Amino acid sequence: MTVASEKAEAIQDDTLISIRGAKKYFPVHGGWLRKKIGEVRAVDDITFDIKKGETFGLVGESGSGKSSIARLILRAYDLTEGEILFRRSNGSIVDITSLGDREMREIRREMQMIFQDPYSSLNPRMTILDLVGEPLTIHGVGSPSEIEDRVAELLRLVGLRPEYVSRYPHAFSGGQRQRIGIARALALNPSFIAADEAVSALDVSVAAQNINLLQDLQEQLGLTYLFITHDLGMVEHISDRIGVMYLGRLMEVGPTEEMFSNPLHPYTEALLAAVPQPDPRGNRERKRVALKGEIADAMNIPTGCPFHPRCPYADSKCKAEVPALRSVAGGRQVRCHYAESLDLTGVAAQ
Amino acid sequence: MTQTNNPLPPERLLQLDDVNVHFPMREGLVKAVNGVSYHINRGEVLGIVGESGSGKSVTARSIMRLQPKQALDAGGSIRFRRKSGEEVLISSEDRQSRTMRDLRGNEIGMIFQEPMTALSPVHTIGTQIMRTVMLHRNVSKADARARAIELLTKVQMPRPNDIVDRYPHHLSGGMRQRAMIALALACDPTLLIADEPTTALDVTTEAQILHLLKSLQQELGMAIVFITHNFGVVADIADRVAVMYLGRVVETGTVDEIFYEPKHPYTQALLRSIPKLGGQKARRLKTISGTVPDPFNVPPGCSFHPRCMRAVGGICNVTTPPEVRFPNGQISRCHFAEEFRSEAAE
Repeated sequence: MTVASEKAEAIQDDTLISIRGAKKYFPVHGGWLRKKIGEVRAVDDITFDIKKGETFGLVGESGSGKSSIARLILRAYDLTEGEILFRRSNGSIVDITSLGDREMREIRREMQMIFQDPYSSLNPRMTILDLVGEPLTIHGVGSPSEIEDRVAELLRLVGLRPEYVSRYPHAFSGGQRQRIGIARALALNPSFIAADEAVSALDVSVAAQNINLLQDLQEQLGLTYLFITHDLGMVEHISDRIGVMYLGRLMEVGPTEEMFSNPLHPYTEALLAAVPQPDPRGNRERKRVALKGEIADAMNIPTGCPFHPRCPYADSKCKAEVPALRSVAGGRQVRCHYAESLDLTGVAAQ
Repeated sequence: MTQTNNPLPPERLLQLDDVNVHFPMREGLVKAVNGVSYHINRGEVLGIVGESGSGKSVTARSIMRLQPKQALDAGGSIRFRRKSGEEVLISSEDRQSRTMRDLRGNEIGMIFQEPMTALSPVHTIGTQIMRTVMLHRNVSKADARARAIELLTKVQMPRPNDIVDRYPHHLSGGMRQRAMIALALACDPTLLIADEPTTALDVTTEAQILHLLKSLQQELGMAIVFITHNFGVVADIADRVAVMYLGRVVETGTVDEIFYEPKHPYTQALLRSIPKLGGQKARRLKTISGTVPDPFNVPPGCSFHPRCMRAVGGICNVTTPPEVRFPNGQISRCHFAEEFRSEAAE
């Protein structure tokens, strides 16, 4: 196992995952010879830490690269550039981008993923016992009878009846399938779970149940979550800290409450203003400036700040210079030239 | 229903009385729409909210007479007032009848969640709008094209003169939705049925489309039936709201009444389970216990009673609650609606 000792010193004690200068470019092929004609910068120069036991929320619109980040951490994709440091449960720190397949397989016991669509992420021909027990079988943990016991325990943990083990996914509702997915992710006692739009496909009343379950499990098992969603109300509720993404870049990182009540990046302000609230009077009173234009094509990212063509505060500097993600007071980071001088509106705590 | 014999009040555009739509399936009969009544006046925005399987889309499709072929009309009336002032009983019309073909796309427009499946992929945006215009109006091709460009301008499409000759796959999600709105507005409908039109869009695009629909609605004076599962969206756009659960309308009222003085336990519980931006930080979300029952086994009595905190044995699980009408016009289908009178939403 590669222990990056020189890097280990740079990672803080309370950090579980440290993503540094991560880039992922996908080549785009076209033309007669399918030559490379361009690239999509899905993730561009991303740096942030996820602390042990916290929920880090990633928000952004479609195509902003938030799902790509989860897939990079789990090494479903290889990075184009950068490193991802992970603190293992035995305390050693590894750069997962440099690991081979066999080592990565070991690491994956400690990091798992929950997917959005509970209908397509479970194999319809497998019973619940097979589905939830599969990670245990793959990693050769326990005899068949031990696996059966463990599956029953996991089902109880996510609030499903252990008698259901011999049923198939079609017998369950969307919310229950999502719980099966959660049980499967928990099978190997991971320390980190990436939840990619984990409740977005569910009805309101069921989404709330599953969010509560995820929070209970976090408390019981000391889990760390990367919670990816486009639902700002949900992310505010569940996250300790939040990262806002736009066109493959992190625009702002900070503690939830401070960021939402006092955003530092114009894009964060615009996102918060765009969300219609279940509060008709509030909606009428709130000034809601609709953002101009649309998200740029990921193959033709605007020069300078990628948000400048839509930003109401942009000037010539924004068009020319790419702002760096820099640290500001209060443990916050922002990628805007004018973060200090802008007075932006958030959502007031009631 | 006795009301069916009375003429519609003059301001009324559309009225549904006790509409039932059933689906015979191998596993049994699904009462997807089980006695739905609502109405919409001229120039009004009615929001229909509910979770999946509540019957909100099936109801809307039966207004257009575009319900799935296996659906059975199992009673009730749908009446619509035409531009001429004349009343039509839509519920007795056939999908392909002359009247329906004349109404659809002309007096009633419709927009859907996924514009890519609603628009034809092999015709340009302009052709699609021109065909609708030429079908319903006696105009030349050149005039129809001018109308298409005018409509694209109206929906704030960038470069309308260029987009008119483009195919749907050239456009982004937000632009496709604008194109579909332009198509729906082609013949100045008095009623627009919008079925989850912003659900597939990103928040900033959603805000743009909602803003556009609101300004078009005010400019053109059309009425909108806006179907969504998102309480934020409905709070933003609706004048009045109907909340649906398992094929029934459980509560109707003005948007403020529904959000600040809900009088049905289902509405109250749903509103409590949504995390509000900038709201108080509660560690746990309030939930509704259980899940939406499967449509083959709809609970007897009030269909919400197994999940309801206030359910009383012997009443809620036996008798279907009547419509309780309040002086302000709010209607709740709950045996105990009167008791919530003074209770404000949290």
